[in-house]
Amino acid sequence: MSKPFKRGMLGLALVLPSFLILVFIVVLPIIGSLKVSLTNEQGGYDFSNYRYLFTDKLMRSNIIFTLEVTLVSSVLVLLISYALAVYMRFNDGLAVRWIRRMYMIPIFIPAVIATYGMIQLLGNHGWAARILYHMGDDSFPRIIFDMKGIIIANLWFNIPFTTMLLGSALSGVPDAVIESAKDVGAGKLRIFFKLIIPLTYKTLLVAATFVFMGVIGSFTAPFLVGPNAPQMLGVSMEQVFGVFQDRQLAAAMAFFTFLLCSFIGYFYIRSMIKEEGMRQS
Amino acid sequence: MFNKKTAFTLLTSLVLAGSLLAGCGDKKTAESAPAGSASAGAGTPSAAQSSDFSFYYTGSQNVDDLWKALIPMFEEKNPDIKVKPVYVASGTAAQPTYDKILAARQAGKGSGGVDLYESGIDDVTKGQKDDLWDTLGADQIANLNNVDQQTLQDVSNLAIPYRSSAVLLAYNSDKVSNPPKTLDELYDWIRSNPEKFAYNDPSTGGAGSSFVTTSIYKFLPEEAIHNSDPSIESQWTQGFDLLKDLGKYVYGKGIYPKKNQGTLDLLASGEVDMIPAWSDMVLDQLDKGQLPSSIKMQQVTPGFNGGPTYLMVPKESTKKDAVYKFLDFVLSPEAQEVVVNKMHGFPGIKLSSMPQEIQDSFKGASEGFRTFSLGDLGTEINKRWQSEVAAQ
Repeated sequence: MSKPFKRGMLGLALVLPSFLILVFIVVLPIIGSLKVSLTNEQGGYDFSNYRYLFTDKLMRSNIIFTLEVTLVSSVLVLLISYALAVYMRFNDGLAVRWIRRMYMIPIFIPAVIATYGMIQLLGNHGWAARILYHMGDDSFPRIIFDMKGIIIANLWFNIPFTTMLLGSALSGVPDAVIESAKDVGAGKLRIFFKLIIPLTYKTLLVAATFVFMGVIGSFTAPFLVGPNAPQMLGVSMEQVFGVFQDRQLAAAMAFFTFLLCSFIGYFYIRSMIKEEGMRQS
Repeated sequence: MFNKKTAFTLLTSLVLAGSLLAGCGDKKTAESAPAGSASAGAGTPSAAQSSDFSFYYTGSQNVDDLWKALIPMFEEKNPDIKVKPVYVASGTAAQPTYDKILAARQAGKGSGGVDLYESGIDDVTKGQKDDLWDTLGADQIANLNNVDQQTLQDVSNLAIPYRSSAVLLAYNSDKVSNPPKTLDELYDWIRSNPEKFAYNDPSTGGAGSSFVTTSIYKFLPEEAIHNSDPSIESQWTQGFDLLKDLGKYVYGKGIYPKKNQGTLDLLASGEVDMIPAWSDMVLDQLDKGQLPSSIKMQQVTPGFNGGPTYLMVPKESTKKDAVYKFLDFVLSPEAQEVVVNKMHGFPGIKLSSMPQEIQDSFKGASEGFRTFSLGDLGTEINKRWQSEVAAQ
């Protein structure tokens, strides 16, 4: 056995366990649900479920609604988390210490409880409405049972983890680099755009992937605080599968959601491959 | 680059992780194995042996609480029998349980691990067609003599109506002095009090579903409520038009909260003044102080649907002796007292076999609800409601 051959075998052995887990836990179920989603009522195979998904008024509005909520939530989460992380990295003082202690709390509160808490706080007769009412404002916007409610819930669930991710990336930006940039006369904005963003760009992409996938498949908050129609895809999927008993259509919805997530995943993987290529050259 | 040591460490940890995962898999199969071997017909256990059986039931939280109270009572008396309760949340998971029993029977694999099943009238009639349920008689279950024989004959002795409840109008008596008594009065009330009425999404709970079904069948002949033939669907249009029109006047101009509890929460917080709700849930929450004491109930005519909840024994179950004992206990006056006190449901046995004070508390309350048996049409109603009413 030559040395390169041995090394190659070792490499394969290292990859094999994770590859097998991926095959059994991800690839096979996806192929299975693709097969189910292509089954029509007569037991033959065609695209009727997908046709229904993109032509039925209700389903179309569900898809558009889901994308809207996901995009708005993702952008807001990334902006707020990045701002928080940058603030915590480059400032020090009482406020920063407290933010650092507090921002993880939502991670430890179960989703259902947090959602009910939100209903109590933001509902039509909730605390917020009552406090505002006593201050003389008697028109309270409808947040619960509305898109706004879902977005607020998504912010609550996603900001802590995203901030943690971005915070660790920012602590990897060496002070020396920033000092030397300042020495040659770069302004604050310039440092931010030319140094900090490029150095944390990859983590930003990872965070975006996480938030996007988390939101697009969310169920608890949309089910409890979302509108009846249009619904998020997760809620609609549960209804189609559990109540209407239409498993093929539910599989088609699941597969479509998977495609949407793959689309985001593609950018992430592409950037990873690019980086690998840069390392080797 | 990796050196050998890191590679080795990585490989070891991966193998460990893999074996852990595999371990999980093993445990799963080990758990399900007894069910499989039992259903393969290991012979019926004699009564002296300790035996355990699986009991699947569904409903809101109060149903779960009821069984969690009754099962320990039973096990204390019969230490040789263990009941394995399996609670499936209402709405979504109820159907798969039925499918499981049916699939197991068709595949000749026993009862699918379900020895006792609790459900509504629809599953009783479906199972009658599919020949799933065991015929129950007073010779095996002595307390069946306490049950109203007419109700038993309605389901050909295939199921035991162990409790009933009805959907009623729950309203806030501080705001509503003169609640509607007929359906038409109710619709007028909804129109003249915009955003003060709410019913829950019918696919997530029986109270909203009852309001929707009653409104649709208002325009059909009386006997249609026992018709499960799809040809009747063309006559629903008038009812759906009514519901679409009401959508402008209900809470939030077309917001239908999820689950039976969703509307009760709105009633408790004072956002709405009237909702359709299950009588047992309202009484229970009044009792616990979760609803203000100003909440009262009123049945309208023609009535919302309600009716017994049934217990069924799959024909293929191998644990029948233990199950019969349990059913006998459920129909005993002491267990029925728990049903009344804990769930505020109507007892499944004749009131005359209950203590006097309970008999008095039910004077005039148990009349007025109707039993709908629509079979699979309920799903069609939900589908059409979602696309026509929710999404208008």
